[in-house]
Amino acid sequence: MTRGATRTFWLFVGPFAAGLLLFTYLPIGWSAYLSLFDARNTVTPTDFTGFDNYRDILTDRAFLDSIGTFTLFAVFIIPTTVVLALVLALLVNQIRFARAFFQSVFFLPFACSYVVASLVWKMSLFSGVDSGVVNTVLGWFGGSPRAWIGTVDPPLYWVVLVTARLWLQLGFYMILLIAALRRIPRYHYEAAAIDGATPWQSFRHVTLPGLRGALIAVLTLNLINAYQAFDEFYNILGDSRGYPPFARPPLVYLYYTSLGSGGQDLGRGSAGAVILALVIALATLLSGRVFRRAR
Amino acid sequence: MDRRSFLVVAGLLGVAACGSNTGRGEGGGALKHWYHAYGEDGVQDAVRRYAAAYPGAKVEVQWNPGDYDSKIVTALQNSAVPDVFEAQVKADWVRQKQVVPLDDLLGDTRDDFVRALLDSQTVDGKLYGIPQAIDTQVLYYRPSLLAKAGVAPPRTVDELVDAAKRLTTGSLHGLFAGNDGGVGVFTGPLLWSAGLDFLTKDGKAPGFDDPRAATVFGKLRDLNQGLLLGAPTDWSDPGAFVDGRVAMQWTGLWNLPKITAAHGTDVGVLPFPRLDDSGAESVPVGAYSAMVNARSTNIDAAKAYLKWLWVEKTDYQTEFATAFGAHLPARQSLAARAQSLHSGPGKDAVGFVTGGGRIASPARWPARANTALSDAVSRVARQGADPVGELRSAVDIARTEIARLDR
Amino acid sequence: MRSTLRWIALIIAAVVFLVPFFVLVRDGVATGWSTVEEVFTDSDLSFARSLLNSTIVAVLQTVGQIVLCSLAGYGLARIPYRHAPVVLYAIVATLMVPTAVTFVPSFVVVSSLGWLSDFRGLVVPGLFSALNVFLFRQYFLDFPVALEEAGRLDGLSAWGTYWRIVIPNSTGFLAAIAVIDFIGSWNQFLWPLLIAQDSSTWTVQVALSNLLTAQNPQPTLLFAAAAVSLLPIVLLFIIAQRYLVRGVTDMDNSAPLTGPGGPHPIPGGGPGASLPAGGRGEGVV
Repeated sequence: MTRGATRTFWLFVGPFAAGLLLFTYLPIGWSAYLSLFDARNTVTPTDFTGFDNYRDILTDRAFLDSIGTFTLFAVFIIPTTVVLALVLALLVNQIRFARAFFQSVFFLPFACSYVVASLVWKMSLFSGVDSGVVNTVLGWFGGSPRAWIGTVDPPLYWVVLVTARLWLQLGFYMILLIAALRRIPRYHYEAAAIDGATPWQSFRHVTLPGLRGALIAVLTLNLINAYQAFDEFYNILGDSRGYPPFARPPLVYLYYTSLGSGGQDLGRGSAGAVILALVIALATLLSGRVFRRAR
Repeated sequence: MDRRSFLVVAGLLGVAACGSNTGRGEGGGALKHWYHAYGEDGVQDAVRRYAAAYPGAKVEVQWNPGDYDSKIVTALQNSAVPDVFEAQVKADWVRQKQVVPLDDLLGDTRDDFVRALLDSQTVDGKLYGIPQAIDTQVLYYRPSLLAKAGVAPPRTVDELVDAAKRLTTGSLHGLFAGNDGGVGVFTGPLLWSAGLDFLTKDGKAPGFDDPRAATVFGKLRDLNQGLLLGAPTDWSDPGAFVDGRVAMQWTGLWNLPKITAAHGTDVGVLPFPRLDDSGAESVPVGAYSAMVNARSTNIDAAKAYLKWLWVEKTDYQTEFATAFGAHLPARQSLAARAQSLHSGPGKDAVGFVTGGGRIASPARWPARANTALSDAVSRVARQGADPVGELRSAVDIARTEIARLDR
Repeated sequence: MRSTLRWIALIIAAVVFLVPFFVLVRDGVATGWSTVEEVFTDSDLSFARSLLNSTIVAVLQTVGQIVLCSLAGYGLARIPYRHAPVVLYAIVATLMVPTAVTFVPSFVVVSSLGWLSDFRGLVVPGLFSALNVFLFRQYFLDFPVALEEAGRLDGLSAWGTYWRIVIPNSTGFLAAIAVIDFIGSWNQFLWPLLIAQDSSTWTVQVALSNLLTAQNPQPTLLFAAAAVSLLPIVLLFIIAQRYLVRGVTDMDNSAPLTGPGGPHPIPGGGPGASLPAGGRGEGVV
């Protein structure tokens, strides 16, 4: 190993590493620092408060609610995404005619931003007026129009949030699963057919095991994406006066607490960020264990 | 090809660098002036016209639709933009030196400004915002619809709950107070209706540490059944009332011209009713005032501009307050010029302000306390949570936050 | 019978998936050219400006990410260096750090640099995508060594080999990553919401969101504006779908998650981990 190689290595990796240091590692350190201060309306605080921010935020109902909201959202979105993406992948993969067309149609929403989707969902599909698309369809079947976004009890707004995200992300996961389906060797199916397997049996004993890796990927990516949910929540439920107290996922909570109208409290926000980092680290460790055992 | 079409085509190609310049660098001394997006037609053109007429410097106006309160506090975080902006003064901004005192701009006009307004923009004896106009909100109702349903104009909270319920028939709803079920606009008025307030008189403690607060927020839950929800526009727009979707709407006095245009004389206005004899009728008084960002690179120029616009140019101030929607001017000498407020519902509303106007957003009412209280009210009104428990935790947070201001 | 059911299901699903696009066109563009004109002249929106801004940000971010991340990926895959595993680990570890954790402190850093309402603040922090580095490294590990050897024999340095041999032979993969980066950058929202305070730096998503959460949203104008904002991306999607599918598939094949070692490091939401580009909350893309 020569000094020349070292220099070449840093020539290639150095610019990226420097950026990562400045824009990922430094912020994490700064965050840990801020979390120990009363840092309201300032990024250079002087008022050291020890672990007060942590005590505060862990007893703050809104923060705990945000974790609950994330959990609830994950419970809705993950199983529906996995199942529907799998159904779409199987449907598309089994046809010959117009396969490219259907694949493109289901994948197209991937190009759409969460803001644009929120706009369509809020102002048209789930608009509370009678002429909203969903209310119109309800009307055909004799249903009465509902205020989808404004109704809290029962929480109809979840229907709006979940369907928006499903539409946006199903195609992406479908593509992942189609690629995985194609990697399953044909002769596995042929062998199963020779053994007299029914279509269900061959799905159960050939397809599913063949998809295990991809399904775990879909599950995990979904979980992480749900953890970072912000765009559609902010744009569908937020308005010019801020955000309602329900359906506030962690990122939305942190935004309003530390940067939005909820108090400009960067210390508390940072403490929240540190706690969330610990939670995800723990979840990663645990899920690693679970999946390894499942193998 | 005319200019508009050219812009469209160029924009489609993503090559048009039209509109404002890039701000930094170019022109160097251009002052950035932010407003929230007023709903009344013509305000934006007017404030741009004022800015263009200022002889002392180039001023660029930015119009901000969306969550302006969040936007302004994020921008005050270490940013030199904007130089001048409108908002309601917060003690926390003063503590962190994010805004600058403006007492020297008023000169001998100080006594002309409505005293309560100046006080609401003052922290520790210094003035940080120059009031632009007085905003208030009232309960609009259609006398004909009330008469048809045999309902008298509500003068107590219980009567309001009852009226909203009885006026709800078929596709007509009793009352519209925002898509959040009135949580945003009624929190203050409900407190006042029970003789309470956000802060105690001396401003040192929460003013709603009282069992009556739980009672009155419980009424908002009852009110829910007569409310319109899921309207295409929110409380600040008269759409629901104008379109005949509701018999009553709580919205800004500023919408009076649009509302009388739609319903003629079939319009009445009321203040928010009282809970009982120990409470009072009220209307909220909001006062966006003009402030200077302490991190502006040109504080002196910003102050000079502000003095010109909001102290010296009384014709602009009058036009701003009265020409587009119905606002009360912030200065006594200009009140005489507000013609639309000299008769009918406009005159009634002026009476409500003088008789029961309450400051809607006191400088010493901290943002976090406000979030805690409105979260609590929302849970009570919309999810049926227990008012006593909800309010207890809101009081605790508010107490700590307010005490913090004097540390 | 089964086949008929399958076709019915497919067609219903396709119709449902297309409804939102149909709505955009029906309620926005189809209301007439004057609506589209208004989109560009309405000063609340600042729309032409924001389209331009989005284009600048997306182009700079895509090019920057490709250059920085492919260089780093190549260095990690091919240049022998004693501490390379440690560096790799330090990069991959950030994949586990979600946006929720970094967005507040990143904002603090950027505001301290004086980069609020500034293109540097919008573009630079989003350039350092650990996921991209990881994908490039995986790709370069499989790159045919013989090609590089040929370059060396011609007297090229590692730097020369990279630019003259490796990059020209990797256009397919570069295109795949570029398309995904471009779409992610164009669609990102949270980061520009924080940084683009001044209207001269608003991106398309910020401009749309401002009007969507306004006191009095104007539906027709909004639908038309949204349709216009979507147009370039849909065109890109149609032209580059092949690369897009390849990019997504590569991501699955080589992502550490599904690699042979089992789910050790999780691709923590792709650019999301390095924040800005993933601010759209759509982790991996």
